[in-house]
Amino acid sequence: MSKGVLVDMTKCFGCGACTVACKLWNEKKYDEVNKPTVGEAAQLVDINWTVVSKHDVTDGNGDAAWRFAKKQCLHCVDPACASSCLVGALRRTPEGPVVYHPDLCVGCRYCMVACPFNIPKYEWDKSFPKVSKCQMCFTRVVAGEQPACIAVCPNQVMQFGDRDALVREAHRRIADNGQLYVNHVFGETEVGGTAWLYLSDQPFDRLGFKTSVPQESLPAYTWQILSKLPAILLGWTAILSGIYFINKRRNGAAEGKQDTTGGPQA
Amino acid sequence: MKTKSKNGPSCSRRFFLKGLGAAGMAGALTTLSGCKDAGKPSGGEGWTPQQYNAPGSWPVQVRGRVPIDPHNPSIVRDDRKCILCGQCTEACKHVQSVEGFYGLPIKNDITCINCGQCALWCPTGAISERDDIAKVLRVIGDTRLHVIVQTAPATRIAIGEEFGMPAGSIVEGKMVAALKLLGFDRVFDTNFSADLTIMEEGTELVNRIRAAAGGHGESGHGHAPTALPQFSSCSPGWVKFCEYFYPDLLENMSTCKSPQQMLGAVAKTYYAKKKGIDPRQIVSVAIMPCTAKKFEASRSEMNSAGVMAGDPGMRDVDFVLTTRELARMIKGKGIDFVKLDPQPYDSLMGEGTGAAVIFAASGGVMEAAIRSGYFLLTGENPPESLYNLSAVRGLQGVKEASLTVPGFGELRVAVSQGLANARQLLDQIRADKQAGRPPRYHFIEFMACPGGCLSGGGQPKTSVPPSDWVRKERLHSIYTIDAKLAKKRLSHENKEVADLYADYLGKPNGDMAHRLLHTTYTDRSGQLTAKNKA
Repeated sequence: MSKGVLVDMTKCFGCGACTVACKLWNEKKYDEVNKPTVGEAAQLVDINWTVVSKHDVTDGNGDAAWRFAKKQCLHCVDPACASSCLVGALRRTPEGPVVYHPDLCVGCRYCMVACPFNIPKYEWDKSFPKVSKCQMCFTRVVAGEQPACIAVCPNQVMQFGDRDALVREAHRRIADNGQLYVNHVFGETEVGGTAWLYLSDQPFDRLGFKTSVPQESLPAYTWQILSKLPAILLGWTAILSGIYFINKRRNGAAEGKQDTTGGPQA
Repeated sequence: MKTKSKNGPSCSRRFFLKGLGAAGMAGALTTLSGCKDAGKPSGGEGWTPQQYNAPGSWPVQVRGRVPIDPHNPSIVRDDRKCILCGQCTEACKHVQSVEGFYGLPIKNDITCINCGQCALWCPTGAISERDDIAKVLRVIGDTRLHVIVQTAPATRIAIGEEFGMPAGSIVEGKMVAALKLLGFDRVFDTNFSADLTIMEEGTELVNRIRAAAGGHGESGHGHAPTALPQFSSCSPGWVKFCEYFYPDLLENMSTCKSPQQMLGAVAKTYYAKKKGIDPRQIVSVAIMPCTAKKFEASRSEMNSAGVMAGDPGMRDVDFVLTTRELARMIKGKGIDFVKLDPQPYDSLMGEGTGAAVIFAASGGVMEAAIRSGYFLLTGENPPESLYNLSAVRGLQGVKEASLTVPGFGELRVAVSQGLANARQLLDQIRADKQAGRPPRYHFIEFMACPGGCLSGGGQPKTSVPPSDWVRKERLHSIYTIDAKLAKKRLSHENKEVADLYADYLGKPNGDMAHRLLHTTYTDRSGQLTAKNKA
């Protein structure tokens, strides 16, 4: 069963425990000066697999308010990064996480170009760099545990479970509390669906989410072309071969004619 | 065979190319077969604390940590040291009843009363006070500036612990000596302004009681609030807590500034005038057991001396250092604290009584106020029994006492420490008020931190999390100073305070006193959605 996470951003007060859990569990280094994990300047970079970004917004009463958005790889149901990877270093697992295998990676960075959310990062300052992104604590998930960031959250902002059930849960919450939530579950259909689903009381673009992405899976676009390739290749081979043979025969016949007319001999 | 042995092993061109091709094929096959096994995915090699590692998605009771605004004037956190043990949440939620007592989503504020108990509980030192040592060292180094320093009652029984001395060691003289060695121009005692606070707060209480009885306060200020019970206002963590969660009871809050702010305001007016120093040249530093004092000093209204001097940008207190920061400063200078010869505080604002020292303990403000309140109500010094008011002493969460004052009647008081305990009293008072019932008490002392200032958020971390044995050792020392070492035990007998009134302020709660020593409060309930339960 494919797992997912439902994030209710109205419950987050920005303690950043999830970012620390991520660093502890994945042994990532800290650089709070240049690469902060919480606050206005927080950004996903090679050492930050998850961050909590702070946004100044206006709440339902028209008052100034702060909102915090937990960001990490969204773990697409049909990931463009995995489809673009030449060597299969990025793979979507049946459990849901899209996992990176550094031993296979050749460093081409196609995944970085392919990702619609700009998630995979590169360890530019290392001699033997790898691609770097959230693994959704794959080893924990296959062991039946929730990802580290979810386990430590004091406000239970995140709920871990089967993706299908979480989609229903998200819509139930919107139905129960329509005056609070925006009527949209981010990740339900974005790029064909993601394992991470978000609820918010703010328009998603105000919290730094990329809302302009297509609602269909990206590999599906390329598949529209790629699926026809065998037929096109075979067809063209057949057509071109046919033309070649026809030409050859015609030329052979023409040569035979010439021979009879007594053309120059070698 | 002959030629072979002569020219070394021979290898035909054909054989060599065959070998090379075979090796290449083998290599390619090995590499490709390696792709079948993808190897380990990255990450997942680290650890998380034990409570988060139960298989499945079991509930976890202790989780996460408190949110801290990066602009918090009192505390900072270093994520590199955080192990997500959850102790800060424990202190914030269950000792102080702050985290969890507001609804989500939040508004535009990270609710924090700046008390620093989280820093005291943090086992790895990830949460600590905002370090202002560099700023203080810079002003000390500037010879044009006159840098004065005051030390809170609770620092003198705790700072020795930072230098290996037993918990509760009384090191007042050594601390003064160390401050002089650090280069402060004058070392004053917050005990002086604690006595001053008692004069103001005691007079205010008498005025409120008389106003409630239908009469008019003797020297009451025109707009002074009259609600009873009067709440003490010395603990800035408590004050902010009341502003957040009980703004309807702010009229009960004494308008008196805390001793720190009183000394700051008096230093840049009275002291400056007496010594002929331009107040703009005075830098006022405070050594406090408290991280909320950093916030208090930064409150916009704490500029009375500046307003008086026509320079509202001037702060009454410029820098606040915690006891821990002072200890670091002393260590940084290489001063052998334990071997220092004791030195006295400097005059004009250096005298303090036993009644002032006990401000450091929960119940101390109450006891000091009762001693002088008795005098203000009756004109006589209190009887011997009021010098050891055991009902308001000790580490109990809420303490009550009732005493009979001749010519006045029964005076009912309560004391609370730790803000989770304060809620018991506050909810009762709120309910009484809404039901129109008469107040149960005349005066209530609230201290944000358990045990009072002696176990404040800026005190040495002698046990982690803070334990009652350290509190008891410090408590014992505080009452020892009051009973055995102090020359005087009544705030109204402080000679320097009497001189201040005679030379500058006029009378307690008078106009000048109101301009310098009293303050206003801010309703902060709009910055959160208060909840009664976590």
